[in-house]
Amino acid sequence: MIVRPRLEDHLVIGKYTGKVIVGVGLLMVIPLLVSLGFGEWDTAVDFVISISACLIFGFGTQLFCRTEKDMNWSHGLVVASGAWVWATALGALPHYLSGHASSYLDTLFDVMSGYTTTGLYLLQDIDHIANGLNMWRHLLTYAGGQGIVVIALTFLFKGTSGAYKVYVGEGKDEKLLPNVVHTARAIWLVSLTWLVVGTAALTATGIWLGQMPIRAFFHAMWVFMGAWSTGGFAPQSYNTFWFHSLTYETICIVIMIAGSFNFALHWAMWTGNLKEIRRNVETISMFVTLSVTTLAATFWLAKANVYPDAMSLLRKVFYQIVSGHTTTGFSTVYAKAFVTQWGPIGLVVTTIAMAIGASACSTGGGIKGIRMGIMSKAFLQDIRRMVSPESALVSQKYHHIRDVWLDDGLVRGAMTITVAYVTIYAVATIVGVLYGFPLDQAAFEAVSAASNTGLSCGVTAPTIPALMKVTYIASMWLGRLEFMSVFALGGYLWSVVRGR
Amino acid sequence: MMTRTRTLTVLVVSGAMLAALAAPAFALATYPPNKPDSTELINHQNVLGDVTKGLFWNGKAITFHGEAIGEVMVRGDYAWIHLNDDAYMVENIEEGAKLGGYNSGMAVWVPSALTKQIDTYGDYQHEGSIVSIAGVFNGACKQHGGDMDIHATSLRVLAAGHVVVDPVRPWKVVLAVVLASIAGLLFWFERKYRYLLRQSGRVGT
Repeated sequence: MIVRPRLEDHLVIGKYTGKVIVGVGLLMVIPLLVSLGFGEWDTAVDFVISISACLIFGFGTQLFCRTEKDMNWSHGLVVASGAWVWATALGALPHYLSGHASSYLDTLFDVMSGYTTTGLYLLQDIDHIANGLNMWRHLLTYAGGQGIVVIALTFLFKGTSGAYKVYVGEGKDEKLLPNVVHTARAIWLVSLTWLVVGTAALTATGIWLGQMPIRAFFHAMWVFMGAWSTGGFAPQSYNTFWFHSLTYETICIVIMIAGSFNFALHWAMWTGNLKEIRRNVETISMFVTLSVTTLAATFWLAKANVYPDAMSLLRKVFYQIVSGHTTTGFSTVYAKAFVTQWGPIGLVVTTIAMAIGASACSTGGGIKGIRMGIMSKAFLQDIRRMVSPESALVSQKYHHIRDVWLDDGLVRGAMTITVAYVTIYAVATIVGVLYGFPLDQAAFEAVSAASNTGLSCGVTAPTIPALMKVTYIASMWLGRLEFMSVFALGGYLWSVVRGR
Repeated sequence: MMTRTRTLTVLVVSGAMLAALAAPAFALATYPPNKPDSTELINHQNVLGDVTKGLFWNGKAITFHGEAIGEVMVRGDYAWIHLNDDAYMVENIEEGAKLGGYNSGMAVWVPSALTKQIDTYGDYQHEGSIVSIAGVFNGACKQHGGDMDIHATSLRVLAAGHVVVDPVRPWKVVLAVVLASIAGLLFWFERKYRYLLRQSGRVGT
């Protein structure tokens, strides 16, 4: 029997969702200040409207949903996934008011893409958009990378014991510190330190490359946010191809890889455990899959004679594959060049890199290195079992912060989420194919959306059918929250309608 | 005399209004589409088994025009500029252009001295100069790490850029004031309610 949620359940969910949305409204103060600084008055008014809408929602729900009850697991999952829906609906207001989108659906697409650190976009004429709106686009992706719930945990939740449930609901389950609010703050400490260092390095490089200091600074900050959050947004339509610089690309690669690392790994290194990077199953897994995909793409493109020399070939291949594998979505080739220059094999290899994706509890998406590691170890364990005497006890362990013995529960968990990812990749691909796109291109774009990568081979455009946009939005959301909390929201809505 | 002056004024004002309305269309008519345009250049094939199109444009001398966008990045004797030949080349959305899809353009490597002719680069507050260049197209440039670019040997400014004003819409201001007032009231109520709960001995969270 499905139990209908009681009034208290709705109040808990409403109260904490409201807190997260107040956080989104406060976050909009930053682009508002940028707009005011650049004298972009119309954009500034757009942000006042949007901030007010968020605060009305947030204060309204907190006023009407007053309760002393703390969250249980299902509340936490529903708050996490529900907050993302409301944050997307309200966060899309500045995009819509700018007049650069053909419909509200397009703006929802862009904002979901930002929060989920995907990087696909439908905004038009971004080469002429306001600095304030550019700040918001990149801030969305930076905030989404750490987790918008993490922001709320950091600043708005005062040590509630239910905080861990909503934190897990956002697709993170590592406790860097015993207290989850302290964990959220530790995540921000790591991210903000990288923000300062990364922005400084890119600003200096930008000035050296011929940019005006103010443009160099803002471009550096936005590119950093796109790289660290593995988001892939960039301030110009040319993406990072704009800079035409090996140095800029190298710094971006370092930031993309760092952004794709598990926050637990960052914290281990932060606290002096430097060996962890060599031993961690996720870094080993990423090293192997990144090497294999890079070699495959290099071999194919060398055969196809696309690039004039080995240096150009390696530079282009490594950048796009790292970008795909870390699920960032930066590119130094035109979107359509994936089809016209890289060809079907290049498309497939990049699709595989995107599908595998980054590390768990990072800003990245995809199946994740830890699951690839666990499944590979389980596979090896089974082979060892087969060749060992029947009485032999074959055990296997992997290293992630500490040594963990592999058991069937762990393997089943990894397999379940992997199957869920493969299913959503397949569904989104089929929708693309049904609308007439070639299989390889439809798969590339579907995997890019569901793994929160954001590389495009030209399929995503403002002109694609609304159902494709909705499919991609759902894929981005499911992929980022790793299914469970979205299913919990679905279950909650179902129980409201059909429960007793 | 008065009637004559009035007629003249009406004629001048009508003429100015017509010119203002027709300007974008006229400007568009002045700049026919590039042949090849950026989309065609980007879509050129260079994959095994389909090299004919790639051979056609790669290394060929072409002319290309578009809006100078963003900035010039001077690197010694040469500089990078980017020319957009998209739907916003003459007029952008803030000036009233209709939505016309994504931006599209080409990166151009050009002698730095030539870029001094360009007075404006396009962004939110500017519509960039329209620039025509002649040079060689590279599908994957050996000098620039495989970038798709044009190495220009000459540059000509077809039209100067201009400042773009995005006026504040009065309805937005009214909406902003109304919503901000409601948000302020709700904040006050929420605080007040919490205070009253604390006073009455019930914890207000």
